[in-house]
Amino acid sequence: MALTHLAPEREAPWDARAAAHLLRRAGFGASRAEIDRAVEQGLEGAVKDLFDDGKEQEAQFQETFRRLSGSFVDFSDIGQLQAWWCYRMLTTRTPLREKLTLFWHGHFATSVHKVEDVFLMHQQCETLRRLAWGNFRDLVLAVSRDPAMLVYLDGESSTKDNPNENFARELLELFTLGVGNYTEKDVREAARAFTGWHRDNTKFTLNAAAHDDGDKEVLGRKGKLDGRDVLDTVLAHPALPRFLARKLLVFFACPEPPPEVVEEAADVFQAGQFSVKRFLTALFQSKFFCAEKCRRTRISSPAECVIGACRSFGVRLAAQECRDHVTAMGQELFGPPNVKGWDGERKWIHAGTWAARQAFGQRVGEVVSGNDFGPHLDAFALVPAEVTDPKKVAELLAERVLEGTLSKKTRAEIAEYLVAADEGPKPDDFRDNGDFRAQKVREAVGLLLSLPDYHAY
Amino acid sequence: MLTRRQFLGSGAGVSALTLGGALPGLFARAADDAVKADRGDRVLVVVELAGGNDGLNTVIPFEDDLYHKARPTLHVAKEQVQKLAGPVGLHPSMEAAARLFQEGKLAVVQGVGYPEPDRSHFRSMEIWHTASTGQRPPSAGWLGRTLDASFKEGADDSLTGLALTDSLPQAFLADKLTVPVVRQIENFGTGVGDTPDADPPRAKLLRKLSTGPTVKGEPIPFLRRQAEAAYRTAARLREAAAKYQSDVEYPGDLGAQLRRAAQVIAANLGVRLVWVSQGGYDTHSKQGPTHQALLGELSGALAAFQKDLEKQKAADRVLVMTFSEFGRRVDENGSQGTDHGAASCLFLCGSKVKGGLAGTYPSLAKLGEGDLVHTVDFRAVYATVLEKWLGCDAEKLLGEKFKGMELLKL
Repeated sequence: MALTHLAPEREAPWDARAAAHLLRRAGFGASRAEIDRAVEQGLEGAVKDLFDDGKEQEAQFQETFRRLSGSFVDFSDIGQLQAWWCYRMLTTRTPLREKLTLFWHGHFATSVHKVEDVFLMHQQCETLRRLAWGNFRDLVLAVSRDPAMLVYLDGESSTKDNPNENFARELLELFTLGVGNYTEKDVREAARAFTGWHRDNTKFTLNAAAHDDGDKEVLGRKGKLDGRDVLDTVLAHPALPRFLARKLLVFFACPEPPPEVVEEAADVFQAGQFSVKRFLTALFQSKFFCAEKCRRTRISSPAECVIGACRSFGVRLAAQECRDHVTAMGQELFGPPNVKGWDGERKWIHAGTWAARQAFGQRVGEVVSGNDFGPHLDAFALVPAEVTDPKKVAELLAERVLEGTLSKKTRAEIAEYLVAADEGPKPDDFRDNGDFRAQKVREAVGLLLSLPDYHAY
Repeated sequence: MLTRRQFLGSGAGVSALTLGGALPGLFARAADDAVKADRGDRVLVVVELAGGNDGLNTVIPFEDDLYHKARPTLHVAKEQVQKLAGPVGLHPSMEAAARLFQEGKLAVVQGVGYPEPDRSHFRSMEIWHTASTGQRPPSAGWLGRTLDASFKEGADDSLTGLALTDSLPQAFLADKLTVPVVRQIENFGTGVGDTPDADPPRAKLLRKLSTGPTVKGEPIPFLRRQAEAAYRTAARLREAAAKYQSDVEYPGDLGAQLRRAAQVIAANLGVRLVWVSQGGYDTHSKQGPTHQALLGELSGALAAFQKDLEKQKAADRVLVMTFSEFGRRVDENGSQGTDHGAASCLFLCGSKVKGGLAGTYPSLAKLGEGDLVHTVDFRAVYATVLEKWLGCDAEKLLGEKFKGMELLKL
């Protein structure tokens, strides 16, 4: 297979902006130090690093979760579980895994509002996290047996005498092949194959008495098919690689990938035998992904906006507060609006959610700094203390927060804003008073986070 | 019958509707701030009673012995009901609503439900929100589809639908636009930019830097347009709150939401569909005092809203519809409460309502698995509202033909 768009990029410069783009898309953005490290590692090294197994930190997360459960934190409260996920996203050293967990959560959507059992939502999230960049085959099988999914799409009550088509339909339409690649008969027959796939509280159980073991035909395959047979057949369907590859391209690369890129991506996904790791390793090093015209083409999801700001600029906010901002911007973790997950992109933005993004920017600008206790933004970590010229500070911030995409005029306005106080401009105070300068730097960061530019991801 | 693709509003299939000649489409306004909304633009306000309102104790069949027998502790005595007409009356706490009924402004639709009732909050709410009982509900809600159907690219639709609740109801999910959720009007978008007079430097600068043309590539132009629209929306909402003059007192949280609805309606912002919500109706135990408080607030809020709209001279163009995801079981349970049931009642309220009782009270003798069997499909009420009030093609939007009911006097 001859690749052009997804051929490895070998010529383009690997600089801070290229590294920032990678770390943004493959995670939630990066600090100056993380960007510098990635630049040093080179493109190939930086991509390899994304897939670090993170075993040590994972053990710490599990231990912390266990310790907090029930005594300090009530994880049977969905709000707390949402905050915990925000905490993981904020502090993980393997952000690609969390980003993929979020992706799969939106793809194999279930909602606590129907499932009601918070533990089941947690368990499903752990499954998605564990298999995040594994093989899609393993992922779809695990999800088909997952108790939260069995509740959400009614698998748990689907029986031979009363088969429920909900899961079979969404499997074909939303999870694997897409509309037009199967018939209504396929849905009905597939539903029969999955009957008896039930749960015993938190575990999958095969209820043989409820399973329809008769002859069936799904997507051209005949036999006494069960759920696994249907999954095997679906995975062999020619539409599958294109369907999955396109979804991954839209989430990680650009909202409207050209058809020829989708075709190549489908080939790559197929050739990698549906390994998500192999696919993304190729994508992140491809000409298409690395091209400047792939940068800042997406609209940040609420999680990317909030967690991204915190990780990239050292904004320290409590996980519960991050959760509140993310929810206010329209992304309720564990509670997508329906089985399609979140449409994302332009659907994230309207008057109400724009107000929430502004409120977040304002909040960052007003965060109190100076101690290790409570919300914090270290201005001098972003702009060294010895830089006291407002024009230089404006340049540094524009580069750091928005990768220098602001016009000269805008940067001049920011410089003016930096020395402004209620009583009038105070350039001397800005130069001589560290506290005043730090405060104005924080306000300027908040302002930049409120500009439309910041939300181009 | 729509193809499933069209019904699901997957973009490609939904065609533009032709609307009845007499009424303008939902997006009649041009993208121009100076154009005032036609006072003839009708508004639908949906009041969601979340949790499953016990219709049997809301619209009470006080002459029926079976009612009193089924509810030893919860039944309401004949002398205490708020009389309506014939053998039914309202819960004692609904005095204000009973007065609306006497004034001919309240239609009580009895026995509302749908076939094969589902007793799961999530699933039944989904059925009411999407107006679909099929196994796979459409991705857009019934009001979202209504908005999609008359969507015009470039029209100023930013406030045509408005949710005054904490989150976007499924009924408002649309394919072509996103309905804003606005919890507060007065300081909506603080941080999005204040009025020119009270402009702190930050807000002013932010607005200056966020709006206007740009040479940058997508999505930045889109984001700048959204920022611009958000500033306009925020300004218009705040203006509505400032202009609004009224001494009508509204009870409780539902009252506060309806008051905000009155503000935006009175300000003529082009709002056509409003959603408000009152929670707490899932009364599995000790139903008495809880239900009394809820219905009292509902009754008072509806009456206050009607009074306010009359004062604002907007009452002729507003219709209020209440609904709940299901009623409750006929027999009370062991905890002086009731469990999830099926058919219930709903109210239509407004100056153009054909006041009185509609539908048939479900039989307490012939139940369906212990629950009231519906006599009116809720989609017939929706169809009436869509067709006769909003001038939309109900059959297309609901996917099926439902016979309209005589609920309005137009």
